[in-house]
Amino acid sequence: MNMAASRSGKGALWIAFWLLAIFLYAPILILIIFSFNDREFVSFPWQGFTTRWYHEFLANETILRALKTSAWIAAIASAVTTGLAIPASIALSRRRFFGKGLVSGFLLAPLVVPLVCLGTAMLILFNYLGFPFGPITLIIGHVIIALPFAILTIVPRLDRIPVALEEAGRDLGGNWWTTFRTITFPLLAPAVLSAYLISYTISFDEIVLASFIAGSTTTFPVYVYSQLRLPTQLPQMPAVAAVVLVISVIVVSLAEIIRVRADRALDSLERVAGEEVATLLDTEG
Amino acid sequence: MNDGPAITIRHVSKSFGDVLAVDDVSLDVPEGEFLTLLGPSGCGKTTTMRMIAGFEEPTDGSILLRGTDVVGIPPHKREVNMCFQHYALFPHMTVGENIAYGLKLKKVPKEERNRRADEMLALVGLSGYGSRKPSQLSGGQQQRIALARALVNRPAALLLDEPLGALDVKLRLQMRLELKRIQHELGTTFIFVTHDQEEALSMSDRIAVMHDGRIEQLGQPREVYEHPETPFVADFVGVLNALDMRIDVVEGSDAIMRVDERDRIVVPTAQTGVAAGATALVAVRPERVEVLRADEEPGDGDSRLRGTVAQVVYLGTLTQFHVDTILGKRLIAHRLSDDRAGEFAQGDEVTLTWAREDASILHTG
Repeated sequence: MNMAASRSGKGALWIAFWLLAIFLYAPILILIIFSFNDREFVSFPWQGFTTRWYHEFLANETILRALKTSAWIAAIASAVTTGLAIPASIALSRRRFFGKGLVSGFLLAPLVVPLVCLGTAMLILFNYLGFPFGPITLIIGHVIIALPFAILTIVPRLDRIPVALEEAGRDLGGNWWTTFRTITFPLLAPAVLSAYLISYTISFDEIVLASFIAGSTTTFPVYVYSQLRLPTQLPQMPAVAAVVLVISVIVVSLAEIIRVRADRALDSLERVAGEEVATLLDTEG
Repeated sequence: MNDGPAITIRHVSKSFGDVLAVDDVSLDVPEGEFLTLLGPSGCGKTTTMRMIAGFEEPTDGSILLRGTDVVGIPPHKREVNMCFQHYALFPHMTVGENIAYGLKLKKVPKEERNRRADEMLALVGLSGYGSRKPSQLSGGQQQRIALARALVNRPAALLLDEPLGALDVKLRLQMRLELKRIQHELGTTFIFVTHDQEEALSMSDRIAVMHDGRIEQLGQPREVYEHPETPFVADFVGVLNALDMRIDVVEGSDAIMRVDERDRIVVPTAQTGVAAGATALVAVRPERVEVLRADEEPGDGDSRLRGTVAQVVYLGTLTQFHVDTILGKRLIAHRLSDDRAGEFAQGDEVTLTWAREDASILHTG
């Protein structure tokens, strides 16, 4: 029997859905509530609405500096990530070469390597090389962990762009670069932007690698974590977290909207082809 | 310009790993010809065309474009253009930008670009569609734009890869005439790839029938259809009636095969050195086979063969008769659906007959 079709089954599904939703989002909701609670301790009871924690953190130079550090590190890391992900995706989607499976495995492996292992490994490596810990080492680390996400965003889009479009470009007089610039890239751009934004959020709130290899550079997540031990700073943290959360949600939603709208443009072309086939089958069947 | 062929293919082979896709193909395509590469999928027709375009390089042999060897020259530097199977219009550009794309890359000034794009739109009957996006066009319109986008560059040859395959039947028939008209108007050399024999027969100046990477027969549509040189060509182009027969007597230029005291088959031997006692594969087209009542007398000197009607299939204009002959082999006859055709029903005893010149010997052994 189809569970969704029965009345009691449908009810059970809804209950399961809401339990899951509460489980996932209640902590976030509580965080936002506490960020407005007029109390020195981050806990109940509710003592009245205030925006004072927001004012305090906006006046807190150290927090702002940490946010700024994370912002520019994420900007550079995600730019480098996207820059590497485009050629890597083209190779994986368009080219055939010996050891492709292996290369693809290596590029995507950071998805499953525990960050603690990666952090330790990089700590040892940079230490051995005598490379100073700081923004550069952190950017390298963030590129490694964001690259699989960027590639997994770009490759599916590239797979949907018919190779014939690129061949048509070359046939009409474009060399490889012209064809890429005028045909492939404009069609790929939404995925590239998505990849950039996703890489940005990954770098921005990354704490494990930052704890290992950032040296004296204090990124925002590292700062927040360190402040949790200081009672006076604590009440500001929910406010900061709420702001970062809202910005992240906006950015990721934007990336998703761009991706979906661009996909629809490709869909409409495929639909025309599909209708032709349907008419054909109609006439012949 | 030179007076030589637009395209010359000399002993071209192409292998993908262990698979020999094209096997020693040679071909001359004169300027202005409509040449069709016809064959089933995997016969090497598309690979041959892609080698002319430059998307594949031959393993062996040479390809000359207006007398210049182009092997090793990338597609964007070859003076041929292609119409892709699914049109491959650039979805992010307008129709006008699509058509002007090639000219823009060649740095043709903007005014001339627009003028030539408009001319092309007029040629394909879509004037005023320049500012639309490809997704706003029907399949047939997209097809025309793809044609305009290729032709605007005035290529030495236009390569068409199954361009009508994605269209519905009515549109396909219309586009056949349209393609032929455009080709005639511009005088451009067309290389047309298809697996559809009707398309090939209706549009081409010449057809190259391909099979297993080789050209089996090259000739005008009528030659290929009426005088197929190999069993494959006979079978692939049109419906084939083939009979394995022993030649009893050769009289003058006729080979005679007796079935029994009444029935016999007569085939012109043409130039082939056919001798009595040899076996021959005799082919005759279904539309050449006439169906008579068993008591009717066929013309003198015509082939005649008795049989029983196994099936009558009404096809509209034509009626198809499947007849089990006394040779044990089933033959197919296509007759116009007139009153005469209505006389026969399943189980009737009939005599099949055809004129001596309507049959041919495909090979002897």
